[in-house]
Amino acid sequence: MFDPFFTWLETTTLSLWLVESPSLFAFPGILAAHTVGLGLLAGLSAAFDLRLLGVARGVPPAAFARLRPVMLFGFWLNLATGLLLVLAYPTKALTNPVFYLKLGLIAVALVVLRAQLRVAHESLVSPRTKRLAVVSLVVWAAAISAGRLLAYTCTRLTVEYRCS
Amino acid sequence: MSAFQVQLEALLASFTNVAAFMQLHWSWPAAESLHFIGLTLLMGSIGAWDLRLLGFMSEVPVTAFHRLVPFAVLGFGINAATGAMFLVTFPNQYVYNAAFHLKVLCLLLAGANVLFFYLVVFRRLRDAVPGSPPPALARLSGAISLCLWITVIVCGRMITFFRPAICDPDGPVAFIADCIVR
Repeated sequence: MFDPFFTWLETTTLSLWLVESPSLFAFPGILAAHTVGLGLLAGLSAAFDLRLLGVARGVPPAAFARLRPVMLFGFWLNLATGLLLVLAYPTKALTNPVFYLKLGLIAVALVVLRAQLRVAHESLVSPRTKRLAVVSLVVWAAAISAGRLLAYTCTRLTVEYRCS
Repeated sequence: MSAFQVQLEALLASFTNVAAFMQLHWSWPAAESLHFIGLTLLMGSIGAWDLRLLGFMSEVPVTAFHRLVPFAVLGFGINAATGAMFLVTFPNQYVYNAAFHLKVLCLLLAGANVLFFYLVVFRRLRDAVPGSPPPALARLSGAISLCLWITVIVCGRMITFFRPAICDPDGPVAFIADCIVR
């Protein structure tokens, strides 16, 4: 049903460049940047979770809240590179249910992170915040796994080709 | 390719039990997912620590932040184990791969930076007055660590694009990748 739309996306100049360019700064570089952004956003979020769960008690949670700009950098980097990766292979991502699962998990992780940052100034970590930290760790791990599994669960690579 | 690479490939290929396990249906994707979770744990905890070394959050005692380091070691351990599993399953995809060579070089340099940090920098950092800007060597070590771990991630992601193809020694050379001459 969406094939004409996918065909249009796949024949845009940018999509063709992403897929066909032999430059390491095209598809490979964007994929690498997406992984660096993952490390910064999910990684710092996980370190913050560990602090809320009682690791490194000497560090006030508010100190982690000051890493917010670095986490935001990871977020914007991955939104931009993620859009480019979808544009490179739109059929592959958009016809795979696991891709929507990944997006849903990331949305949950981000909502939880926002809630955690909002209470970071409190010196005593409430049981609710601790539960949120567990949810955050589990949801990030699931989102990362879902992202990794996209390569193995796709059925169509492009409008023309099936995933091998 | 050198004799060393050929010997290394043969040695890695001798772990046939691991290779057989990794070729079961979901072993490889599961190990990859774990490798990325380990990456996140390592990058997050060592990244926060490096930012502290660079002078972010300098009012927090450095010893308090140091409690995060075991989690970076855990992430590294997960990735060393899963990485070794990839390596012994398809050794020729790594032993002759330029991206993998650069990744290993950066890992060795990161290891040297850890030694430099604990032998030279840590003592000075602990003795520094809380709230004062970190010593220049601490900032240097933190910056080196951040750059190296980011390069390790990038090189790891590039391995796929530098996979050597098995090809005819007289045939055309594949783009980027070297041929494995049979």
